[in-house]
Order: sequence, then structure tokens, then C-alpha cells
Amino acid sequence: MAYNATKNPTTDLRERLYIPELLRGLAITTRHFLRNLFNPRDTNTQVVDRKGPNLVSTVSYPEEKTPYPPGYRGLHRLVPRDDGKPRCVACYMCATICPAQCIYIEAGEYETTDPSSESRVIEKYPTQFVIDELRCIVCGLCVDACPKDAIRMDTGLHTPSEYNRSGFVWDIPKLLQGPPVSHPSDPWNKRASSAPPPHQQREPHTRVGEGLVALKLPSGEPHKRTEVTDQAIPVTRFLKD
Amino acid sequence: MKAFTVLVAIGVIVGALFGLSALAYVVGGLLGPWAWVTNLLILVLGFVMLIATFLTLAERKWSAMMQNRIGPNRATIGLPGLRGRSFGGLFHVATDAIKMLTKEDVRPRIADPLLFPLAPILAFAPALALFAVVPVGPVVTVSGHRVGLQIANPDFGMLWVFAIASLAVYGTSLAGWSSNNKFALLGGVRASSQMISYEVALGLGLMGAMMAFSSLRLPDMIAGQTNHLWGSSEELGILGKVGIPAWGIFLQPVGFIIFFAAAFAETKRTPFDVPEGESEIIGYFVEYSGMKFGLFMISEFAEVVILSTITTGIFLGGWNIGFGFDSTLTRALTQANLGWLLGAIYATIFWVKVLILCYVQLAIRWTFPRFRYDQIQTLGWKILLPLALANIFVTGALILVDPSLRALAVLGFVVIAFVLALTLRRPEPAGAHDTDDAHLPADAHGHAPAPLPGAATASHH
Repeated sequence: MAYNATKNPTTDLRERLYIPELLRGLAITTRHFLRNLFNPRDTNTQVVDRKGPNLVSTVSYPEEKTPYPPGYRGLHRLVPRDDGKPRCVACYMCATICPAQCIYIEAGEYETTDPSSESRVIEKYPTQFVIDELRCIVCGLCVDACPKDAIRMDTGLHTPSEYNRSGFVWDIPKLLQGPPVSHPSDPWNKRASSAPPPHQQREPHTRVGEGLVALKLPSGEPHKRTEVTDQAIPVTRFLKD
Repeated sequence: MKAFTVLVAIGVIVGALFGLSALAYVVGGLLGPWAWVTNLLILVLGFVMLIATFLTLAERKWSAMMQNRIGPNRATIGLPGLRGRSFGGLFHVATDAIKMLTKEDVRPRIADPLLFPLAPILAFAPALALFAVVPVGPVVTVSGHRVGLQIANPDFGMLWVFAIASLAVYGTSLAGWSSNNKFALLGGVRASSQMISYEVALGLGLMGAMMAFSSLRLPDMIAGQTNHLWGSSEELGILGKVGIPAWGIFLQPVGFIIFFAAAFAETKRTPFDVPEGESEIIGYFVEYSGMKFGLFMISEFAEVVILSTITTGIFLGGWNIGFGFDSTLTRALTQANLGWLLGAIYATIFWVKVLILCYVQLAIRWTFPRFRYDQIQTLGWKILLPLALANIFVTGALILVDPSLRALAVLGFVVIAFVLALTLRRPEPAGAHDTDDAHLPADAHGHAPAPLPGAATASHH
């Protein structure tokens, strides 16, 4: 493989004449040209596995996508529960650890007086969960920090292109996607009986049936906003509009 | 399936060439003595400019295929039936033109107000004027008139080519000077010195062919190449007279190489692209934008086409098929009074040869690294010029000895055989470097590298 530098190439008559080497070079180029011109391209996204006489090694990106390796950190998603609500309990762990400070959360509380409310098992939920994908540095610390397995980066997608910055600010309807996740240790799974919980059909904060549904507050009550005093985080709020 | 598509595309190209040639002959026959007007329009605007325009696409697409890429394929038209189909990047030609024409035309404040806009014109016009003396098809009788696809046929013939080719350097050096930019000036100076070095070899390289065909006019040279050096004296059925034609490349292989190299340097394309020097000084058109820059680019491709036509006319037999068919085809179509068909067929053959030469030029541009500046001057003055002078003396002596040109042809075949034998010789055995072919990333697909065609047979010699 290695070029043997002991031989002086200028002593070779063929290389000194230049024309024969020129013709050989043209032959190589032309052979590549004809092979790629007359043969269909193998579109296997694993380029090293491509077969056939066509030598093109391009992957035409939007049409052909190379699958990402396991563990690839892609676009965030908020993991849904079995009933479609986010698993998130608005604990602020991810927003706190985020080195880019791109996560903004507003927490809402379930009513404690209503005996049938979810507050028997969960106290809080996010009324706003916003990630500024432009500020995100894709470090994955939020995924590690989440105690509820509520945020993941397993979508295998890039952040899609947008025409303005506000399009990169993803909120709950856009983030809540993917297959639901259920753990036996989840508090709502620790019920006395296996009967369906009575609150299941009530309208809580979000209900993602068809996908993108506007945020709703519980039962038309006045919005209980959790006051955010830290000035660094709410920057994403102003980007939103 | 893809091979079929490619063959259809080639057929469309050849059909378009044939149709345009037939149109030129028919309209020329109707106009009679005013045929040079339609020749001017159809040959220059139709053939040369269209081929040059499509060469801008071909350069990118073909280079992509030589380098195992796909090339431009994203421009599409959102019409029903066309949506999402790129046709091999065909629409990139239109998008390029629109881009060039609508870009802002920046003129530097300190640039010369008169010469700065004049330079692209001076670079572009000579390229087209060169084409005036090139005959594309034979002179045939169409509706009572003698029609040939040539704009002008003066006695001085090739001297016109030399004169106008030297004028082209005014455009580049003026562009370099009037831009008031040091890099542009460097490019212009390089261009002019390169032109001076290669103009001599350009002229002297053709001298042998002029002596062999004893004419300066391209039609006479092409007519001289219809003769057979060795061949059957009577016709063999439909094949007609079969034999080895007196093509310029057989008579003058050295002259062909000298002329091709010198003309390549005149086009300022990559092995000789120091005036442009994209990687160092950007070149004489560094201050130009918009369609002024586009004129420089399109003149480069027009020069490629015109150089191919001249080379075809002098060295590749022009419109002749050469080895057979010529006599029967001419007699059959002349007797049937189908002069336009005969002319169109021959003109198509001419343009196919031109396209093949265009491919060779593009392949050379994408195969070879650039020459250093001193290498360019060395090649021009120390190699091509003495070689051209020696070629003139040897050619003259052999023509004097044997006016039938056979002695010249024997020498030519010996030279060609020598070069081919060197080319096909098996490379140096172990210890020396193998051909680079085995290490190409192209073969990273797991295929064994195919030997060069003929390499195995040459080893038995």
C-alpha cells in the first residue's frame, strides 16, 4: 500500500514521456465515469455494504437516512403515561441541571381537597414545559437527572428547520410524543386494586388524543401560576412569540 | 434500466444535433447566397452556445461521476409530470443562467469605468469569432443551391484562428488591469505570459498538418482526410471503399499532442489554470460578478467547444466516417437528391466527434493536477517548441520523399504504437509502486480492482 520512495520515478521512461501516464490516468477516470453512468446506484444507507458496479458512495440525505446508533441523543420528547399525560411531575430537576438553561417549566398543583383528584398520588404537573432547541447543547444531562423517566432523547430525529426562532421553542404539545412508558414503581400504579382509577376520564391539564392539543387547565379554575423568581430562565418565554 | 435511460439520453442528444443540422441545411438551401446569415445564427447561437451552456452542467455532472459522487440533481420544476424529477440536473442550467443574470453587478469604485465592462466582451467575442472558419458539414446541393455549414471560407483559413486566438488574451489582461486589484493583475499577467508561451507552439504544431494537406483552409484539410492511405480500390458492397483514412492524427500524432496541449493552455483550464488559480489568487476575474463573470465562464466553455471543432477538423477527419461507408453514403444520397440529409448526417458525425473531444477535455481537467508556473513555461518553451520544430522538419522531409503521405503515416503509426505500448506495459514489479488503481477508495466496496483494458495482453509481448 505504501508508496515506495526508494525508486526515482523520473527515471521511468513512461513517466518521463508523460503522455502514457496521462492516458492511464484518463483510463481510470473514464472507467469510473462509465461505471457510474451506466449502472444504477445502490441506495443502501450502509455505504460499506453497497454492492454492484456503481461506485457512488453518496447517501442522499432527506430521502435516505443512515440509522443512528443506539444511545444517539436526538430531539427531546416528553414521555407520555399510559393515559397520554406526560410523566413529568414538574420537579425542576432537568431545568436545574441544564447547563444551557434551555428548559423552562411552570408547575401546576392538583387540588388536595378533592378526594378523587390525582393529588393522592401526584402533587404537581407542568402547565408549561418549554425547551428552546436552539439553546440546547444536546448533552443529555436532563435525561440523566429526571427521576421519573419523563424526558428522553431517543427520538432519533434532528431538530427540524424553521424560518424563525420561535419555531425552535418546543412546548408540551410538540414534545409529548412517542410510545408511552410505564414502570411498576410509578405512584399511579400503586393503587389498592386493579380497578381503573376514577379520575382517568376527567379532563386534567393535557389530553393528547390526536397529537397536538392546546393546553387546558384543570376544570376551568383560575390559573394557579407558580411564580418564577429566577431571572435567568424565563428568557425562552419571550422568544415564544 | 439505467443503462437504457442513458442510451435514450444519448439518442436524444444525437437526434437534437441531427435536427439542428438538418434545419441549418434546409434553411440555407432556401436562402441560397444568404445562407451564411443562418449559418452564423444556427452554428454560433445554436450549436456552440448551446453546447457551451450544457457543458457547464456536464462539467459538474461528469466530474461528479468520475469522483463517485452524484452531482447536481436538486433543481426541479413544480409542474405536473415534472415534479420531483431532476432529469440528471438539467434544470440547473436554467437556474445558473437566472442566477447569473439577476445577481448584483458590482463594479469597484476604483476600477476603470471604460475598460472594466469592456474586458468580458473582449474575452467572449474572440472565442465566437474563432468559429467563423470552421466547417461543420460538407457542401451539398439543397434545392438548387450549394450549401455548406461554414460562416466564411477565406484563403487564410487557419491564420484567422491564430490571429483571433491571440486577441482573446486582451480580454483577460484588461480584466486583470482594469479591476485595480493586485490579485487580478497577477492573474492577467500570468494569462498573457502563458498565452505568449503557447501561441508559438500552437502555430508550429499545426504547421505539419498544413504541409501534409497543403492548404490553410479547413474544408480543404477535411477533404484531404477523405482519401485512404491504404485501402480497397473498388467498392465492397454497402461498405464502400474500405481503408485507413489519411486522418491528421495518423499523419501527425506529435502535432496533435502539441496542438492539443497548446490549445488547452489557451483555454486556461485546469492543468494550465494559473491565470485563474482558484486556490491562490482567484484570478483575473476576481472583481467581476453577475453576468460579466458569467461571460468569462461561458467564453471558457465556448473555447472548449471551438477547440474541439478545430481539432476534429484537422486531426479526426472532420465529418468523415473514414474507414468505410463514405463513398456509398455520398453516392446514394446524392443520386436520391437528398443533399440536406447527407449534410445533416455528416454534420451529426462531426458534432459527435466534437462532443467526444469535449469529454476528453473535461476528463483531463478532472484527472490531472495543475502545473506549477515554471513547469508551464518549461513545457511551452523547452518541450513543445523544440518538438514542434523537429516535427516540421521531419514532416517536410517525409512529404518530400513520399508525396502520397504513406511514409508520414508509417512514422505516425510507429509513434502511436510506441506510446500505446508504453501505456499498456505492465507496471514495474515488486518494490516499485503499483498502479494507483488498486488503492482507490472506489474499490472500498469490496470489488477486486479490474485490470486496465489491454494490460494483460500487453504483458505477453
